[in-house]
Amino acid sequence: MTALAELVRRPSPDADPTQKLRVRNVAIAVGLAGVALATVALVGNILVASGDAEADNLVWTFGLSITGFGTIKLGIALVLTGIIVRLWMRVDAVRAALPRLNADAEPHGDVQYGSIETPFGEGTLTEKAPGLLPPQAMARIMWKPMIVMGPMLVLLGLVLSFATTGADDPDTSQALWAWTQGTLFLGEAMLLSGISFLLGTILAGLREGGGEVQESLGLAVKTLRMPTSAKVFLVFMFTGLMLGIAQFILYGIAAYVDDPATWFAWLGPLRELSLGILLSGIVLALFTIGTVLGFQHWRIRQIIETGR
Amino acid sequence: MATALARADFEVETSTRSLGYNLPQRLGRLLWFPMFLMALMFFGAGMALGIARANEISDAGAADTIATLQHVQAGLMFLGFVSVFSAISFAIARILGQFRAGGGEVQAAAGRTVQTLKMPGTAKVFLMLMMVAMMTIVVASILHFVFAADIENTPASLADAEDRFIVLEGVRRIGTAIFLFGILLGLATIIRVLRFQAVRMRQLPDEAATH
Repeated sequence: MTALAELVRRPSPDADPTQKLRVRNVAIAVGLAGVALATVALVGNILVASGDAEADNLVWTFGLSITGFGTIKLGIALVLTGIIVRLWMRVDAVRAALPRLNADAEPHGDVQYGSIETPFGEGTLTEKAPGLLPPQAMARIMWKPMIVMGPMLVLLGLVLSFATTGADDPDTSQALWAWTQGTLFLGEAMLLSGISFLLGTILAGLREGGGEVQESLGLAVKTLRMPTSAKVFLVFMFTGLMLGIAQFILYGIAAYVDDPATWFAWLGPLRELSLGILLSGIVLALFTIGTVLGFQHWRIRQIIETGR
Repeated sequence: MATALARADFEVETSTRSLGYNLPQRLGRLLWFPMFLMALMFFGAGMALGIARANEISDAGAADTIATLQHVQAGLMFLGFVSVFSAISFAIARILGQFRAGGGEVQAAAGRTVQTLKMPGTAKVFLMLMMVAMMTIVVASILHFVFAADIENTPASLADAEDRFIVLEGVRRIGTAIFLFGILLGLATIIRVLRFQAVRMRQLPDEAATH
């Protein structure tokens, strides 16, 4: 509970940066639990392949391994919340240190506000810190419901997988198996979307914190424009989540069709494609974070060296 | 007090200028994009083969063709996953590189001794797990292709193909779990680096300039 409480709000500016976050260790423990679940599922698969267990056990091993992935992704989400908290502590540290490190600026003429070029791409020069971009504002709100709904759906899928294993009637078994797959992968897609929103929240914190520090020093505020990688990230994230929802609906249809094998044959790759696209979006979000961090270090250096 | 605690808590290298990127970070900056592109290609190919297999099933095609497509499709899709997980890992290494190089440059610009955090244990385990997971999934994917080439239209061969698929499925999943856990540790390393940066920034004004 203490670990979760760390994540709710921005730490106070006086917070001790030397203090360790409990959430980091909690996240690692959660991740290890996920690996353990996938290991149990592997043992189940080997037993089935060697003829020591019935083939219908493959359904719950499938459910368990996907639950394992979901558990690790939940751990990743926890780590990202810890990063958000730490980023704010970094902002407060920079704001406290910079006034005593920067060079005295020489008087200069009128500042030309507007577009600027930086080594990290096009940016803006404004008098006040610019607000959040709409996707960043949305990310701050949306990561919480996604991180709550994702694990709930994954757990529901796990329960369905055990129900499928125990089902005798072929029609019931087909329906339960279809819903198991659809539910598990919708949960996974929501978890990955939650992670994407958390990465968006990190980008929001970098933008807001960077502006806040520059404004507090009385400087003109330099901010990067939204990089292309961030725009493509949004497209990938939206497409991946939509495909995740689509595969869930299509599995709902496949639950009651006459030729489920045909449906399952292309729905399997489709659900994996949805996760693949979400993961590709995450790559671009991480790339964008790296670019923004590079810009921030460049800007801090510039303030220290020139005072403006 | 906070400063003393911080110094005892972090293992650092000292220098007069930024140490720049280390080898994994340079690799990360170089390789994230090729891996990202490869992932997209493999995902596309895997999806196309999934549709082809569904057509075969729908047209009551030969059992060996359907089994072959199952193996090849799974192999391609998981080469996609190994590529995208690698791209994520390299992007994380790139972020860690920005902290290492950029943090050093800021300290150097302030004229203070440059302290650079030594590679934390979580980062070392992250790299190790990434390599283990990558090898696990790549080997499983290659075995899918090898077994696919071995399938004949006999009950025994089809049964073997099915058993092999079940085992490789479990192996691929454990590889995926290890990769995801490695990524978790890579991100946990960022928390540590951020803690170090916050502590170091607060120390800088009270230190005498060295250059």
